[in-house]
Amino acid sequence: MLALAPDAASQKGATGVSSPAKWSAHGVTPEVLWGECKGSGSKPYRACVDLSEPAYRCSCPSRKFPCKHALGLLLLWSADGVPAADEPADWAAEWMDQRRDRAEKQSSRLAAAQEKAARAATPEGVEPQTGAAPDRRSAQREQRVTAGLSELERWLADQIAQGIADARRTGPAEWDALAKRMVDAQVPGMAGTFTRLSGVLRDEDWPGRLLGEYALVHLLAVAHRRTAGLPHALGETVRSRVGFPVAREDVLASPAVRDRWDVIGSRDEEQDRLVARRVWLRGRETGRAALVLSFAPVGQALDASLVNGTTVDAELAFYPGAAPLRALVARRHGGLHAGPPPGLSAAETPGLLAGVLAEDPWTDSWPVVLSGVVPANDGGWLLADPGLQDSGSDDEDGSEVSGMRLDPAVGTPWRLLAVSGGHPVTVACEWTPRGLWPLKTWDEEGQVVVL
Amino acid sequence: MSAALVGTDRRPVPGGRPPGGADTPVAPPVELLEQAAVQVIRARAGQRPQRGRPLPPAPQEIRPLVGRAAAVRLERILAGEQGRLLPEWLEIAAERGARVPARLIPKLLDLGARDQSIRVHLGVLTGTRGRWLAGLNSAWSYLRDEPTGGAGAAEMWEFGTSGDRRAHLAALRARDPEAARELLAVGWDKETPEDRAVFTRILADGLTMADEPFLEAALDDRRREVRQAAADLLTRLPESRLGTRMTERAGRLLVRDGDRLQARPPKACDSRMERDGVRARPPAGSGQRGWWLQQVVAHTPLTFWPEHFGLSPAEITAMEVGDWAREVRMGWTRAAILQRDAVWARALVEVEPLTDLLAILPPAEQSRIAAEYVRRHPVDGQMIMMLGGIPRPWGMPLARAVLDKIAGVATAQPWNAGELARLAGERFDASAHGQVARLSDLPEVHEVTATLRFRHEMARELLGDAPEKRRTDDGHGTAGETGGPLGEEDK
Repeated sequence: MLALAPDAASQKGATGVSSPAKWSAHGVTPEVLWGECKGSGSKPYRACVDLSEPAYRCSCPSRKFPCKHALGLLLLWSADGVPAADEPADWAAEWMDQRRDRAEKQSSRLAAAQEKAARAATPEGVEPQTGAAPDRRSAQREQRVTAGLSELERWLADQIAQGIADARRTGPAEWDALAKRMVDAQVPGMAGTFTRLSGVLRDEDWPGRLLGEYALVHLLAVAHRRTAGLPHALGETVRSRVGFPVAREDVLASPAVRDRWDVIGSRDEEQDRLVARRVWLRGRETGRAALVLSFAPVGQALDASLVNGTTVDAELAFYPGAAPLRALVARRHGGLHAGPPPGLSAAETPGLLAGVLAEDPWTDSWPVVLSGVVPANDGGWLLADPGLQDSGSDDEDGSEVSGMRLDPAVGTPWRLLAVSGGHPVTVACEWTPRGLWPLKTWDEEGQVVVL
Repeated sequence: MSAALVGTDRRPVPGGRPPGGADTPVAPPVELLEQAAVQVIRARAGQRPQRGRPLPPAPQEIRPLVGRAAAVRLERILAGEQGRLLPEWLEIAAERGARVPARLIPKLLDLGARDQSIRVHLGVLTGTRGRWLAGLNSAWSYLRDEPTGGAGAAEMWEFGTSGDRRAHLAALRARDPEAARELLAVGWDKETPEDRAVFTRILADGLTMADEPFLEAALDDRRREVRQAAADLLTRLPESRLGTRMTERAGRLLVRDGDRLQARPPKACDSRMERDGVRARPPAGSGQRGWWLQQVVAHTPLTFWPEHFGLSPAEITAMEVGDWAREVRMGWTRAAILQRDAVWARALVEVEPLTDLLAILPPAEQSRIAAEYVRRHPVDGQMIMMLGGIPRPWGMPLARAVLDKIAGVATAQPWNAGELARLAGERFDASAHGQVARLSDLPEVHEVTATLRFRHEMARELLGDAPEKRRTDDGHGTAGETGGPLGEEDK
C-alpha cells in the first residue's frame, strides 16, 4: 500500500494518520473509500479514494499526491479498520459523479478526434493543414533542424578526423556546448543524447562505446537528411528521435490497441528539475510492449494511475514510428489481478530484439518478459532457459545452460536469486545494449516482487 | 578503432575505399562512422544467448510462510518505519516457527551481517532458502552458525550447523543434564576451541556437583575462553574444589574489622590462581593488586561471605571498605551476575542500578526497583541505559513511572523525554495502547501510542489471532475500557 506514496515523508505521515482514532464518518463500498480525518484545523479533512484506478482526492492543502490522508485511509482500510457501507457519503458520491462526467467527456472527445482522423484519411477528406501561421512556424523549425543536424554531421566528421583519444578530457565541455546548440536548433532528441554522453566515459571500453554513440548520431543525422527516401514509418521514427513533437490529440486519434496490459516496471529519472516517469507495459494478448511517459516538476507527484505489478484492461494509442513503443492510455476499462504475465524463453528473446532493432536501429531500451528462466553464472549473471536436467542425478558439473546476459552494472541480483532459489521464474526486464536490467519477478505465491 | 582514436587524418580507415578511387567519393571520417554504425547495430541486434552454469536448486522449505499482512509489515519496518521494532518482529515470528518471504531474505541477511543480535532468529526465519543464499555470499556465511530450529535428532549433533549443535545440546541439557554432559565428554577433544567454550557455558543450565569433575578438568584446557567458562561455572558450586580454594584466598584478603571491612589485596598472582580463572594482567588503567583482589572476590562463592562476616548480604554491601571499596564492590557485582544470586543482586542494586544486576531479579521486582529509581532520580544517561536493559513487556509500575517522567521533563528536557518515549513505545505492554492514548495530549505520548499500536497490530498479525474485538465508536480499542493492564495497579 505504501508503495503508492510519493516519498518517504508521506509514508511516515500516512502511518501517523492511519490510527482509527483520527477518522470519523468513514466507510467503504466496492468502488470508493472515504473518511474525515481530524487535522490541525477546526474542519476535518475529507479524503476519498476511487478504488478502481486508484485515484485520490483530499480537501487538505498538501501538494503531495496522494497525500498522507488518502494513504492513511488506505492503510486503515487494509487493516480492516473501515466499516463497509451500502452508499457512499454525499460528498464522496459527488466526487465520483464528477469523475464519471469527466471520463465521459474525455472519451467523447476521443471519439470525436478519431472520427475526424478517419474523415481526414478518406480521399474526400478536408485538407488537414489549418491556416498559414503554424505552417510558417513549422517550416522555420524544419530549416533550423536541418541546419543544426548538418552542423552536427560536420562536427562528428571533425572529431573522427582528429581522433577521439582526447574525449575524456575535452568531451564533457564540448558535449555541453553542443547540447545547448541542439536545443537552439530545436533538436531536443540530440541534445538529450549529448547530455547523457558523459556516462559513457565511466565504461572501461569507453572509446568503443563513444564511437558507437557517435556512429548512431551520425546515422540519425544522415537519415533525417534523406527522410524523403525512407519508408513512412521509419521516417516517423527518425522525426521522433530527432525530437519533433507529436500532438497528444494526433496520437489519441490513431487506432487504439485494447489488451490486458501488465505494468511490468517503472523508473523515475530527474532531468532539469523535471522528473520523468517511465512505465513499461506489456499486452497479454498482443504481446506488444509499450512505454507510458509522464512528467512532473521535482517535488510534485507524478501520474500514479499505472501501479507497478498490476494488470489493467485498457486501450493504448501508440506514437507513430517503425517500432512503436511510446503510448498513451486512451481508455481504461478497469484493473485486474492476473498473476505473472506470459513471457518468452531466453532463446526466443534475441529474435524479438533483432526484429525491434531492424525496424528502429536507435532503440536502446525495450521491455521484455522472460518466463521459466533460471539465474546462471558465467562470471557475470545470465537469465537462462533451464537445461534438460533429470532431477535425479546430482551431477555436480551440471550441464551448462544458455541465456541472456544481465547488465554488469546490476551486480549480483540478490533479490532475484532469493526469489528464484535456482528454480524457474518469470522475470520482467528492461533490455538495453549493455544487457538486461531486471525489473520484477513473481514469487511462490504469485506475488509481484519489485527488483 | 585505432583510426578513430588517433584520427583518420593520421591513419587510414581499414577496408575503406582509397580516396578519390570510388564512384561516389566519401570522406574517410564519414566512411568510418558508417562502418561503425553498421557494426554497433549488428552487435546489438545479433546478441546471442551465452553459456553459463545454473545454480543448484534450493531445497524445499519446511516451515510455513508468515501471513501476508505480517510480511508487509516486516517490509515496512525494513524500509525504515519503526525500524527499532525489527528485533521484536523477528523474535515473535521465530517463536512461531515461521519463515519470511524470499524477497526479504537478502535485506535481513545484510542486516544480520552488521548486527549480531538479530542473527539468532535468522536461521529459522530465512529457512532453507536463506542457507542456500548464504552459501553464495561470504558476507552471510554466519548463518551457518545459527540454529535452524530443526528436530532434536541425534544426527543434528553429528551433522548440524554449529548453531544446531548448540541448540541440540541445550535442549538435551534441559531434559537430561547427565546425558548432555556425557554426550559432550565423548567427542570433547575433537571440538573446536570456540565450540568447547560455548558448550561449556551451556552446562550452566541444571548445574550440579555432578558436573564438577568435568569442569575441574576443563580448567586445564588449552584455550583461555574454555578455562574461563569452566571457572565461572565452578564459582556457582560452593562445594567445588575451586570454590574451596577461592574461599581460602578470599578469607585472607577481606576481613571484618569491627563495623568496617578491611581489604588486603594479594601481592602476587601465582599459577594456581591463574588456573582458577584469575587473570594476571590487568586491563589498561587498573593497578595489578586491585585487579587481582577484584577477581578473587568475583570468583568466590557468595554464600561464603555471610558466614565469614556474620552479617547479611545487605549489611555487608552497606559497610565501609576503605581504599579498595571500588574493587571489592565490582568483585561482588561480578560474582552476583556470574552466580545469578538474587539476594546479592538486590543488595547491590541499592548501591548502583546496573542493568546486569537487575536482570537477575524476577521481572516484577525489576520493574518495581526500576520504577522507584525513575521516580527518585532525574533523567540522565545512566537511567536511560538502565531502562534500555529491562526487557519488554515492562511491568505496570515502571510504565506508570516512565509516563509520569515523560510528562515531567517534556518541556524542560525535550531530548530526554523523546528518548524515554521511544523506550516506552518499545517496551510497554502493547495492548495498552488505547489507554495510554487517553492519558495525555503531549506529542511524546502520541509517539508512545503510535508505537504501541504498531506493535499491537504487529503481534496480532504474527500470532494470527482472531481480530481485536470490534472497535468502539470513539475509535479506541475496548482493551482499556474496563481497567486494562495499566489500570490494574491504579488504586
